[in-house]
Amino acid sequence: MRRYGFYIFLLLLLFGNLPYALAQERNNLIATKRKLVLLIDVTSSKAGLDSIFKRAGISDADRPALLKGDLSVLEREGWRMVKHIDNIIEFDRRLSEIKENPPGNPFIITAQVIKNGARHGYLDDALYGVNKFSSPSVIELPSGLTRFILPGFLNSKRAFLSGSFNDWSTLKGLMTKTATGWMIDIKLVPGAYEYKFIADGRWMTDPANLIDLNDGAGNTNSAYFKYNYTFKLHGYPSAQKISVAGSFNNWNPGELQLVKNGNTWECPLYLHEGRHAYRFVIDDNWIADPANPDKLTDDKGNVNSVINIGQTVNFKLDGYTNARSVFLAGDFNDWQTNAIRLNKTADGWSTALVLASGNYNYTFIVDGKSIPDPANPYQSVVQNQTFSFVSVNANYKFKLKGYTDAKKVRLAGTFNNWNYFGYTLAPNGNEWSISLYLKPGKTLYKYIVDGNWIIDPGNKQWEQNDEQTGNSVLWIGQ
Amino acid sequence: MPKYLPLLLFIFLLTQGLKGNCAKSRPIGGITFTNILPDPDPPPYGDFQTLIVPIKKAGNLIIVEAQVDSVEGNFVMDTGAPYLVLNATYFRDAPKIDDQESAGINGESGGSFTTVVHNFSILDLHYSSLTADVTDLSAIENGRNMKILGLLGTRLFANFAVTIDLFNNLMYIHKLNEQGNIPPGEQVFHDPFLRTPFNYMNDIIFMKGAIADKTLWFVFDTGAETNLLDYSRSGKAIRKMQIINRSKLTGVGGSSFEILYARFDELTVGNQKFTRNRALVTDLEKMGRAYDHNIDGILGYDFFSRGIFTINFVKKEFEMYIYNNQ
Repeated sequence: MRRYGFYIFLLLLLFGNLPYALAQERNNLIATKRKLVLLIDVTSSKAGLDSIFKRAGISDADRPALLKGDLSVLEREGWRMVKHIDNIIEFDRRLSEIKENPPGNPFIITAQVIKNGARHGYLDDALYGVNKFSSPSVIELPSGLTRFILPGFLNSKRAFLSGSFNDWSTLKGLMTKTATGWMIDIKLVPGAYEYKFIADGRWMTDPANLIDLNDGAGNTNSAYFKYNYTFKLHGYPSAQKISVAGSFNNWNPGELQLVKNGNTWECPLYLHEGRHAYRFVIDDNWIADPANPDKLTDDKGNVNSVINIGQTVNFKLDGYTNARSVFLAGDFNDWQTNAIRLNKTADGWSTALVLASGNYNYTFIVDGKSIPDPANPYQSVVQNQTFSFVSVNANYKFKLKGYTDAKKVRLAGTFNNWNYFGYTLAPNGNEWSISLYLKPGKTLYKYIVDGNWIIDPGNKQWEQNDEQTGNSVLWIGQ
Repeated sequence: MPKYLPLLLFIFLLTQGLKGNCAKSRPIGGITFTNILPDPDPPPYGDFQTLIVPIKKAGNLIIVEAQVDSVEGNFVMDTGAPYLVLNATYFRDAPKIDDQESAGINGESGGSFTTVVHNFSILDLHYSSLTADVTDLSAIENGRNMKILGLLGTRLFANFAVTIDLFNNLMYIHKLNEQGNIPPGEQVFHDPFLRTPFNYMNDIIFMKGAIADKTLWFVFDTGAETNLLDYSRSGKAIRKMQIINRSKLTGVGGSSFEILYARFDELTVGNQKFTRNRALVTDLEKMGRAYDHNIDGILGYDFFSRGIFTINFVKKEFEMYIYNNQ
């Protein structure tokens, strides 16, 4: 009897301490009637301790000090040490602290707990793309428009085209009924797109499209690439297989086959803006592009061909005919001051660069001295330095009418982190203006007229901000 | 004299229960509204028996595109809102029918008002005239990076049953027969594994449930991206939960507040047990005051994403179906 009693006592002891004896997890966070209890096992590994402190809500900034043994961090956070038995230290705090500043709606909480990742359903970062269809359901028309075709579904009341090009609108892509199905013509710039059709109210991938994409949010979408470049290689009439491989496709040979067209081998595709290195692979022999003078040797000693996809921007400096050297430096080349040399012309200096869409700051370096572009009224100020500003593929013109007496009008917003010195608008008759390239999505902005922040009087859309002065609202692409 | 007194007292007490629903308050976009108008809107109409509407998601929010007057755009399907709410950024100039006293979160978010929109439609479902509140919804836009024209509240669907299939991104709006049922030939889903009545008070759905034998009343809110529990009203249940972590979040105006993230089994709704549940433990008193009702918890995405669900606003019934990849 006594023996059983001993074992029963042990069992009771075990169950009585169950919350503390959760097998291997000696560190724990537990709610009791009025308190939140934090148990720390000082013999835990550093990783284990860091993990429990993070669970307790100690910030990334404070945890290192705590891991070094500075327990005052916990006390400053409102934790009170209750007891220390063997290697377990117990802290607690009042659960009623949850009552302070209660939130007024669920979104205030969930916006901070559920973070947005990369946009689902958009191929923003696709470096390249080649289409694959079983039959042509997406056709580039001579007019420049792109036609999407859905055969069948003639009993459907309506059909829609929805994709990344129209922000997955379920209403805006209304298709026209034809004798055999549905179609719609839309304007697309070269790019990589995801899309689906909606027929009978239901989402469907394009039945003729052999590329299925998992968008990362549980949806399967079709993909379409509007091409903007063709790799060409002349000659090699007896080659069996020619492909192009480059930095955009992880140098994977054989993936992008060139097709013979007369005495030229061709591979049309979509290539993302920016710089790409590549070589042709002819029956397993790698060669640089003989028709491309732009070459770069990589660290393995390979000579690769280089292309830049973007827009050509001409940089011109008039005068300074006595200068020995003129260079161009900017965001586009990490401000290297002796990399891009301008060529001397009859009345000045010039060069041309191919740049991807974006907003760039730049300066000329004349015989070692940095000067902003005297012919460019648009400027940008970064860390107290004034630079010239150029926008490539600008898609929005900011305009401020009136204010003709103002000395300086600037623009700041989410595109430049609300940098007060921002971008300088140029006067033009009765208005001030500047064009920028804005990324798709929401932009908030304000004008700064001689130091005074104002919302855009020409824009009815604005939202309230913390200072209760309002921010103007702009959506690109939606 | 004494004989009449109890009768008079009884009659007096009866009349208290029949008080009209005039000044009610509601949280919308964080603003508490009083002066909610009773429902004067004409019923909607449409040439369909079952309307299939493609939907999208933003975070865990359900997005439905609709058209208001001539403007098309995204709306959040939000059963936590009583009726149509419009984003002030785009509807600031709408005609004011009534100003709202706003006891906003930081006490000073003015500029919210009531308006009437004409020609609101979701595909074939048309509303000739709809009362709507206009308020600041920029927090949702900025949080989810999507242009949001407004919220679709429960009153919009008062005559229908609505089914949401998050697996295929579809919403069904069902016209009901005289018995308040989806006509047998029009039923899309069959054999629900959960069927429970709900209380529909102040245009808000309240469902009875339990956590670990403690009975709780939940608001069913498709606008809640997680389940939420009130720390004091669900206290006993919380003690049995696994506390994953504690966080300090920022409220409006820079104030901070505390939440716990908890995991638990044994959530019962209707007669159905749900395991592997997650909830954020917070203080729901402010939301409850605005709903004019104590809230023990809010059933959100973690709950309703487990199946395809139907809300029948006429029969006040909630059903859930297993998604089996049909």
